[in-house]
Amino acid sequence: MQRNNIKVIPGALVCEESKLRGDITIGAGTIIHPNASIIAEAGPIIIGENCLIEEQVKIIHRLPFDQQNKDTTPVLIIGSHNVFEVDCTVEAPKIGNHNVFESKCFVGNKVTVSNGCIIGAGCKVTEEQILKENICIFGSNCQMRECIDKPAVSTRKQLLLI
Amino acid sequence: MSYITGPEIVKYACTCGLLKPLPELYFCRHCSQIRCSFCLCHAVDSFFCGKCSENIPSAEARHKKNRCANCVICPSCQQELSTRVASKGPINPDDAKSAVKKSYYLSCHFCHWTSRDVGIPDQPSATGCWPERENVHINRLQEVLDVYQDIMLSQQQQKENSKKKRGKFVSYTDRTGVTASALRRRIGIPDIPHAKIKKPKPLDPAIAKSEVEELPEDIFTEPLKLMEITTIDQRLMQPESQPLTVDKLFPIHKQLTIKRSLRCRTCEHNVCKPEYNPTSVKFKIQLFAYYYIPEIRFVTVEPLRAGQTSELIIKFTNPTQHQTTITIFDLDLEEQEKYVEEQKLFDIIDNFEQAMSLEEKQQLSLPSLVMSSGSQPSSMYSLQSRQPSVIVKPRKINQAVNCNVAIPESTFILPPRDDAAEYDDSSDVHNIEDDPKLVKWRKSNKAFIKLAVTPAADLKIDDEVVCGFTMQHIYTNVIPAIVENMPHKYDHKVRVFFRLGKIVGSE
Repeated sequence: MQRNNIKVIPGALVCEESKLRGDITIGAGTIIHPNASIIAEAGPIIIGENCLIEEQVKIIHRLPFDQQNKDTTPVLIIGSHNVFEVDCTVEAPKIGNHNVFESKCFVGNKVTVSNGCIIGAGCKVTEEQILKENICIFGSNCQMRECIDKPAVSTRKQLLLI
Repeated sequence: MSYITGPEIVKYACTCGLLKPLPELYFCRHCSQIRCSFCLCHAVDSFFCGKCSENIPSAEARHKKNRCANCVICPSCQQELSTRVASKGPINPDDAKSAVKKSYYLSCHFCHWTSRDVGIPDQPSATGCWPERENVHINRLQEVLDVYQDIMLSQQQQKENSKKKRGKFVSYTDRTGVTASALRRRIGIPDIPHAKIKKPKPLDPAIAKSEVEELPEDIFTEPLKLMEITTIDQRLMQPESQPLTVDKLFPIHKQLTIKRSLRCRTCEHNVCKPEYNPTSVKFKIQLFAYYYIPEIRFVTVEPLRAGQTSELIIKFTNPTQHQTTITIFDLDLEEQEKYVEEQKLFDIIDNFEQAMSLEEKQQLSLPSLVMSSGSQPSSMYSLQSRQPSVIVKPRKINQAVNCNVAIPESTFILPPRDDAAEYDDSSDVHNIEDDPKLVKWRKSNKAFIKLAVTPAADLKIDDEVVCGFTMQHIYTNVIPAIVENMPHKYDHKVRVFFRLGKIVGSE
């Protein structure tokens, strides 16, 4: 059984009811709602500043099958100002800043998310790829388009919550 | 909802011969017949915008090409766009008291498209007079439209002229039967051709070119940027410009929605009439079959094997306030065929009679014609026999049945619907004597019926099994105009078809 090693930087808000497993570092200003689960299975998870992780969100650090059994332990670094909305599942090996994962979306463990991306509600992204900056995925067919600037919702939403 | 949109297992045969699930059918109380959307006359009641719920008169709707003047949809994903505030800093930063300047832009909550993406400047007012795109071909289109309008006018005039020559008994296609030229003749002014109508000016035809622009050289070498190219849907949303790249997508005015009323073609009574107010979802008249015809729902069936009898359980629900008795008969598709043939025959006789009466009238009115030397009788005639719509002829039911239903000998009663029964557990006692072979269980206005079905012996595994029967129920007519004192009752028959499922293998 893996030992839990959780570091919470002052200023972060982590609810007791959330499920945290493994080596996790949580940056200042980040809010983790009850019943969110963050599971560091393959290696440590570092969450940046001012992220918002809502209820029933699952952030799982799990490696693809072909990359397992390697000596180096990879670190999942989640940048700042990311929003994980209710009931989304994110297994991406790398997440930049200012991303929005909308409700009930699914991001597979072969997808690298850069900055300013929006994964729309209910969209499933599993194919191996690197999402370029400011990509927006939406609709039942997971249409993709490039936005002009980063989504500006994250800070406002957090202010409303506090 | 899944019941309404879900798989169509139980289908009712409309009077016209089409098969539809019950929620899609209507019931004309005046003819006491089932009608479907194909054998009803549709009419547009009102136009309104689905977003701002504004009622728009039909003339204005036509003028605006059936689009709302205020609401716009996203050119990228066709969802409605909303206005967003972007506050820029104060007008002069030195003066702390100066008001913050607000500007507005359009944004799509769904795909995060904004009007800034394509370089539309932010507007100072929230209602936003968003810049309209001029169509580059507007002049040519207008020219073509004008010419067609001229052609239409001149053709109309020609028709009138030719009618004048033939004179007699041609009914006008116009609903009123009174055209300008007919009026002129009636008041005794000589019928002169309309001064305004000229011969249409021929249009410069579009010229076909064999030379087209060469493909740009880099088309095969440059990598394709899918992000910058519009989809077919996006292009077809803007037929005037059909942009190739996403930077030419502009907000589109939202298309209007209509409310329509449905009218029975036989008796001309309204079957469905919505309320005029766009925000209201209610109806003034709603004669849906769902409220008059007992609803049949499929409950369960034993595994179906070719040539072997299985037990089928179906549920009957009485939607009306009157008790009804249900009898199950054989499907008898031949009867329907006969009915179709009869209707055809009636039609022929009708036509013949009409032709006869027309001739008679012609003969009768001949002397007067000679005297007045006008086509007045013809216009009068056309006024009298105003046939508003084409009556849909019934057709054969196009559904093969490959399963036999054992027709029960007894009938069963469905009590009236009682809305309070659901909250009342005590009233579960019935004084209805049921045939235990037929009725399995019953509660308030519902009854579960057991039927024996036998799929045809020559069916193979995975073949779809379809069975059907004729249901007869007692329909109680409650229209005060027709019924004087007592509710008028009579038997109404409807054919019902079931898709039972597929044949499974032997035990």
